[in-house]
Amino acid sequence: MHDKKDGSKGNIIMVTDGASIPDPREWRLINAWSIALVGAISTLFALCLCWPEPYLRILLYLPDGILITFKITVLSICCAVPLGLLTGLGRISNNRLINLIASTYVEVIRGIPLLVQIFYIYYALSRFVQVSGVTSAVVAISFCYGAYMGEVFRAGITAINKGQSEAARSLGFNGFQTMRYVVLPQAMRTILPPVGNECIAMLKDTSLVSIMAVPDIMQRARSFVGTTYLYFETYTVVALLYLVITLMLSKTVSIMESRLNYYDGK
Amino acid sequence: MTESSTTAPIITIRNVWKYFDSLPALQDVSLDIAPGERVVIIGPSGSGKSTLLRSINRLEEIDQGKIVVKGQDIMSPDNDINLIRQNLGMVFQQFNLFPHKTVLENLTLAPIKLRKLTREEAEARALGLLKKVGISEKANVYPAMLSGGQQQRVAIARALAMQPAIMLFDEPTSALDPEMVGEVLDVMVKLAEEGMTMVCVTHEMGFARTVADRLIFMDQGQIVEQGRPETLFTTPRHPRLRQFLNQIL
Amino acid sequence: MIRRLTLALLTLALLCGQAVAAEKYIVATDCTWPPMEYLDENKQPVGFDVDFITEVGKAAGFEVDVRNIAWDGIFGGVATGQYDIVAAATTITPERQKQFDFSDPYYEVAQAVVLPAGKSIKSLEDLKGKKVGGQIGTTGVFVVRKSGVPVDLKEYDDVGLAIQDMLGGRIDAVICDDPVAMYYANKKADTAGKLNLSYKTDEKEYYGFTVRKGRKDLVEKLNKGIKAVKASGIEAKLLEKWMGASK
Repeated sequence: MHDKKDGSKGNIIMVTDGASIPDPREWRLINAWSIALVGAISTLFALCLCWPEPYLRILLYLPDGILITFKITVLSICCAVPLGLLTGLGRISNNRLINLIASTYVEVIRGIPLLVQIFYIYYALSRFVQVSGVTSAVVAISFCYGAYMGEVFRAGITAINKGQSEAARSLGFNGFQTMRYVVLPQAMRTILPPVGNECIAMLKDTSLVSIMAVPDIMQRARSFVGTTYLYFETYTVVALLYLVITLMLSKTVSIMESRLNYYDGK
Repeated sequence: MTESSTTAPIITIRNVWKYFDSLPALQDVSLDIAPGERVVIIGPSGSGKSTLLRSINRLEEIDQGKIVVKGQDIMSPDNDINLIRQNLGMVFQQFNLFPHKTVLENLTLAPIKLRKLTREEAEARALGLLKKVGISEKANVYPAMLSGGQQQRVAIARALAMQPAIMLFDEPTSALDPEMVGEVLDVMVKLAEEGMTMVCVTHEMGFARTVADRLIFMDQGQIVEQGRPETLFTTPRHPRLRQFLNQIL
Repeated sequence: MIRRLTLALLTLALLCGQAVAAEKYIVATDCTWPPMEYLDENKQPVGFDVDFITEVGKAAGFEVDVRNIAWDGIFGGVATGQYDIVAAATTITPERQKQFDFSDPYYEVAQAVVLPAGKSIKSLEDLKGKKVGGQIGTTGVFVVRKSGVPVDLKEYDDVGLAIQDMLGGRIDAVICDDPVAMYYANKKADTAGKLNLSYKTDEKEYYGFTVRKGRKDLVEKLNKGIKAVKASGIEAKLLEKWMGASK
């Protein structure tokens, strides 16, 4: 990232896993992202046209799985991002209690594998409260990723020059208004790419729901393979499907990123 | 005139102490500022002049003593510090303009959100102020496109947009290239001539001479000497002040 | 007896500094299917299938290395040659025979429907509109689908999870091979007594050992071993040990 005029440096926050967001400034038509997308879609088409049996059959077996995968991903994103924001703010807070709660939450959740969390909410808690498969998945995934995103939010917010909040406070804005009108809008630029990456990782983690017999893409694929033993063909289609969805998601994030870069000086 | 004894002071600073860890940045500082008075604070680095200035609008919290602005104790929990701050405009050394807002939006943000002005009212006021600081043609430009001098003038206009009773300047020209210092000082002089109460921390002695009603010299957290600028420049009494003036004049 | 001989030969060969390996095959089994195969406290594969294939090996002259492999990939693994034999309570079906070769049948089963204690059904039709659970890719699931009865079928990674969910009240019934159903209903500590093995299909199925298509030599060895084990009375002993009673 480039230096800005007021002396602060743009920050790059390292992220663990996920597709790379295409560079929003990339204007050339032929780039890694477009090659991947066109390649994936055309491969899918070619396979279904040239060998409808089994590829088309596989593709027709999976659509309701795609719907469920989408549903869980979207709901999880809608819950995890606000949770991440609250957690990040909590970690910065001067209030000892809030800070403690947020920090403990992050420590605990980051220590337990997501699969175990899903398992626990669905099976273990079923003694006290019945939670549906989709709900368990959304709750577990949101809590897990909320903790990771909390760290991203925290880093992004603290990276914003202290002078910004001082200027806002000296105008008479309270802490909440300062965050809302001055700090967060600026922090979004550094926060968005890693959060976008986390959302893409989330999409791939939704495949864990098969443990609850929730029929997402992965579970449908395994069910199909269980009857037909067409491992290679089925998982080829599944891989291409996930790739296409992931590429579209990462492009969306890239577009959002470019929208946020409107005020850079030249 | 040194202090106006007939009108009540608009800022009262009484026996203020401030520590950073265990080091005293302000040691038993007391000061009264009258409405319409232009006060300039000078001193070597580490003397506590910025700390004192920032204590007035509570960007730094004092450990002992009392600061009263327009009759309100700024440290008291009964008073809303945010409301008090609306009456204190501050201009920073690093400008601190909001980079994600245009120049016009920088000026209208606080009046709209805090004073509940309509967009038209706020923009009208903002355009008037931009004209005053000589930068109206840049109203719809983002701060990153402006020079340092232009940014600082916008910062001054932004502070004025809230129509404060007092303006605080924290070394406003120290981060500027020399050729841009003049344009900012001109604006400040204009402001002073209009009768704005100003407390200014600066190294610009020419400005002090022209504008200040009272010059305050601080050293090691204490007010060492104060008086009219000519008096302090021509006949400094305190040895530390003499030493300081020798270094800079 | 043969095993001891082979071992002696081996030791002799090793002592002579020449390596002579006894034929050893990798056997894959999915240890989530008690009492046919499951993991004991030491995480070792145990069960009827494990003992049976070991005995078959002894009779036919080969050793086995039994490994716990998830059901999901077990066929893929044998197709690509990662494992030689699958001994995992695998029913012989025409679809599977298209892709793999099977030994002779060595065990007969029916599909059983398990319900929570106190509930019962008379036929598969009674499951109409209900939620039924089964393990992905097992004949229990196929039977439900083939029957044409409209049920809400949920496929689990593991039949144990399906039983858990039924006890949790989320599904109404679980369908699986009857030895497994009997095990959960009668023997397994935390589920025994809470389940009712309510219905068994009339259609019988047969387990066979699965090998990659084309390995006729292996199939022959297995069949030889199976015949020997059945004739020698070892099978009866194993049935006693694992099922609790003779069939």
